[in-house]
Amino acid sequence: MKKISISLALLLAISLSACVDDGEDGAQGTAGADGASGTDGVDGVSTFVTSTDVITTNANIAYAAYADSLISAQTLRNNIATFIADPSETNFSNAKQAWLDSREPYGQTEVYRFREGPIDALLADGTIGEDGEGPEGRINAWPLGEAIIDYVAVVVDGDSGPESAANALSGNVIANTADYPTINAETIQNVFEFGEDERNVTTGYHAIEFLLWGQDLNEDLSGSGSRDSSGGQRPVTDYSVTVGACTSGEVAVIDDICTRRGQYLLAAADVLIDDLTAVVEAWEPNAGVHYTSFVAGGDESLAKIMEGMGRLSYGELAGERINIALKTDSQEDEHSCFSDNTHRDIFLNAKGVQNSFNASYTRIDGEQIEGASIYDLMVVEGQHELANSLRASLEATMAAAAVIDTKAKTGTPFDVLIQQGINQPNVVAVIDALVDQTDYIEQAIVALGITANDLRQDTEEDIGG
Amino acid sequence: MKTSVSANISKPLQPLIVAVALTFLTACGGGSDTSATSPVVVSPTPDPLPVLDHSGLTPLEADTIDNTEYLSGGDATVFVTDEDAFSTRPDPITDDFTLDGNFTSGDHIFRTPHDGAGPLLNTSNCQGCHLNDGRGVLPDNKDQPFTSMLVKIGDSSGAADPIYGDQLQTFAEQSFTTSDFSSGWPSYKGSLNGDVLVGEAYTYIEFEEIIGSYPDGTSYSLRNPIYKTKDLSFGDFTADIRFSPRVAPQVFGVGLLEAIPEEYILALTDDNDADNDGISGRASMVTDAITNESRLGRFAYKAQNPSVLQQVAGAYRGDIGITSNIFIEEPCTNAQTACQTQAERETNVADQADISDLELAQVEFYNRVLGVPARRGFDSANLQWDADITAGRQAFFESGCVGCHTPRHVTEEAAGSVLGEIAFSGLEENASPIEMLSNQTIYPYTDLLLHDMGGSCSVTRETPDEVNCTSGEECMYVQRCDGLADGLEQGMASGTEWKTPALWGIGLVQTVNPDATFLHDGRARTIEEAVLWHGGEAQNSLTAFKQLSSEQRSHVLAFIESL
Repeated sequence: MKKISISLALLLAISLSACVDDGEDGAQGTAGADGASGTDGVDGVSTFVTSTDVITTNANIAYAAYADSLISAQTLRNNIATFIADPSETNFSNAKQAWLDSREPYGQTEVYRFREGPIDALLADGTIGEDGEGPEGRINAWPLGEAIIDYVAVVVDGDSGPESAANALSGNVIANTADYPTINAETIQNVFEFGEDERNVTTGYHAIEFLLWGQDLNEDLSGSGSRDSSGGQRPVTDYSVTVGACTSGEVAVIDDICTRRGQYLLAAADVLIDDLTAVVEAWEPNAGVHYTSFVAGGDESLAKIMEGMGRLSYGELAGERINIALKTDSQEDEHSCFSDNTHRDIFLNAKGVQNSFNASYTRIDGEQIEGASIYDLMVVEGQHELANSLRASLEATMAAAAVIDTKAKTGTPFDVLIQQGINQPNVVAVIDALVDQTDYIEQAIVALGITANDLRQDTEEDIGG
Repeated sequence: MKTSVSANISKPLQPLIVAVALTFLTACGGGSDTSATSPVVVSPTPDPLPVLDHSGLTPLEADTIDNTEYLSGGDATVFVTDEDAFSTRPDPITDDFTLDGNFTSGDHIFRTPHDGAGPLLNTSNCQGCHLNDGRGVLPDNKDQPFTSMLVKIGDSSGAADPIYGDQLQTFAEQSFTTSDFSSGWPSYKGSLNGDVLVGEAYTYIEFEEIIGSYPDGTSYSLRNPIYKTKDLSFGDFTADIRFSPRVAPQVFGVGLLEAIPEEYILALTDDNDADNDGISGRASMVTDAITNESRLGRFAYKAQNPSVLQQVAGAYRGDIGITSNIFIEEPCTNAQTACQTQAERETNVADQADISDLELAQVEFYNRVLGVPARRGFDSANLQWDADITAGRQAFFESGCVGCHTPRHVTEEAAGSVLGEIAFSGLEENASPIEMLSNQTIYPYTDLLLHDMGGSCSVTRETPDEVNCTSGEECMYVQRCDGLADGLEQGMASGTEWKTPALWGIGLVQTVNPDATFLHDGRARTIEEAVLWHGGEAQNSLTAFKQLSSEQRSHVLAFIESL
């Protein structure tokens, strides 16, 4: 199986999955567990699906999702360039919409985290290192200590500073013309995690988000009281190039500040594109440094897929991104707190897990990618019932996430939803569903015989003198 | 010679023989020329000396490094040698989705400013002091306040100051809730009636240089800190005030230290130096704030806290102004009315405790399971240690450093949190033990006991020009010490006693944070300086170290760097 060419494996995977997904197996709906042990299983040609097929499809979807992220980040950059050249309300809206659009594919890539993949481990020299050494922080770190970037309100619901007061810059990068006379990609990369402080996030989606929306201070800009349905209200005049029209919070400013803010915004988009490009290249089919080793990785790669699904489901999404915000009732702990787009983060992160299981992904241009799935493999391995239970649990999560998504789109965003007395049960339902699906993912790992120990090569040899 | 006293012993005999072994080993723990006095143990030549650790394992030898020693934290060992060396989750955590999630949540709370911080505080979140989960730093200059170190205070009997309490909180909350950092700084008589919410007092450091030299003529320089406290917002301190400035320590490994059986530590004590090796070692017995029982203190610089949970809850309250069900009162004294008013306001908008039991348990879990960095300098494929590390280890042992820096311990079952088992919805009863921390062989290099490190302190009132004074804005409190003493009694610890700190990971301190320094107040810029500051019970070991050749000294330092 190792010798099989990748394109053949892919072909095989697609053809096999076409058979599996012919509708037969879904005919009984969520009660489909019966079908797994019955006629569907016999009819299905899924007996030919191998773990390498599954791994290959997973890698192809990774490429597609990261490529979509890059494509949409380039659209975002173009919109930002247009906006800062002509800072009209329309162009401002377009830039913000482009940011929202770019989050759609990116959110679905998060399932490729926590598995020693490029996003977590890609080094500057193009090789794969250890988790934590990759570009993830530069791309998507949060919560932001946004005071390092630009002006912040005096009183806010949350904390805009770094972890340690000793790691605060004097002023902020945009206002501090003495220390940062030029703002470009290098400037903002140099102050990323300034003082080793993880809240000094100066690049990535959320830095751009802050520069487009500003702090979420409610409609009245008070930054206090009950939260309303509005996100950040940054005025378009923060980017004004008209003499005397530039605004920058409550402080008197020179016109230069707005130009510098625009430069920062564009530089952040450039850095995002660079980082995403490196990840996309590492996943490039047949060529990327990670793609080739991953596809050849056998059960270890299969275990990585499952680990990414499980760790995102439980610790990252249910825990850090939802439960902590719910338990602390704090916007500081909300993922996309400036734009109030957290409902999409939640929905898309969960969607990514489902994509990985079903081996399907819808590209931003509408193209459907499908292939050999974990579901198929579990059926092949005789785990019909568990395969179906896991499928159902993922569906249940998506249904619960859709409720949050809908509430946000109809006027009750996540930061309002988490407040006591609003509708916390909607949020709890997503957490519970994610916990359930994690349990099934764990069972699937055991059933497929890929224990966690297979995941990690012994790294002890790395410590030699 | 291998003194395998307690190995290969049939079960029923073990307690007796271990007890005998203790006597023998303790006698030898501190120096190379002390002869064994125990009549029972047959040991023809007690050299090289085994080191007592009550693990029941084959005693360690000075000249032979065990192949498992590089796994400093047992199953909780991590193999990271970059800036994340102190903030990494061990594999047993990563490999379990639930534990992984608990860690992620604890990490988030640890590094994120929490609602309810203040009214008075030193920083707004745990990571604000424990930079990158590592050590805090000293301010660059006297115009910068302490942001990742703090000052404990008390009178000559160790009692808290009636107005300022037992710790100087440099800031009021507006320093962190507004974009004006200096808005909450202390100001001279700024709240004489206690009715203005400002920080308590401002301490800065001046250094005087101490030049010394080794017997071989090599010179060295130490910087001796002088602590000057000014801008007293609430009036004068109580008479006889003492100051103990402390930099935030690295936090990993505490779950393992907590799981060392208490009797194994108590067996190491030698209160009156009965073995006459110059090293006593006293247990810091403290009252458990949760159970009210007397227990061994293991955490903080004077071992004043018996558990990770109490340490975490105490730091939340004292350093961040975050109350919990364990410490429900804000650190406002009766004289600080503005602090109390603001504290009441906090409880009106939320539960009485600023942090919930669930969050506290998550942070406790995070602290307990943070990975311990593996040793460097070991080629695990060929089972070879670097030669200078092997040589340095032998000198470290033979200089008696291991009389306090006990290399090895074993852990017992590490009980789950007394708060309960962590679930997203809340805490559940009967938390299960933490397997990764249980029944491990670990190499922390500490006995967790109090030792007299020598030195003394005096406090005077002086102007910036060092003219004696009695009152006025210019009239600062100035503490000068010689040696490591801080002059502050805390619990059972005197003003010259400190708990032996663990040495594991010490070689990565400046990898994690290049500005970090060593010892309780960060006075030592290098590990060598830290060694040279030792005194009191460590005097013999220091003398032995100084008498080594330059090359031998570099081996000792290479060994310590490899920890």
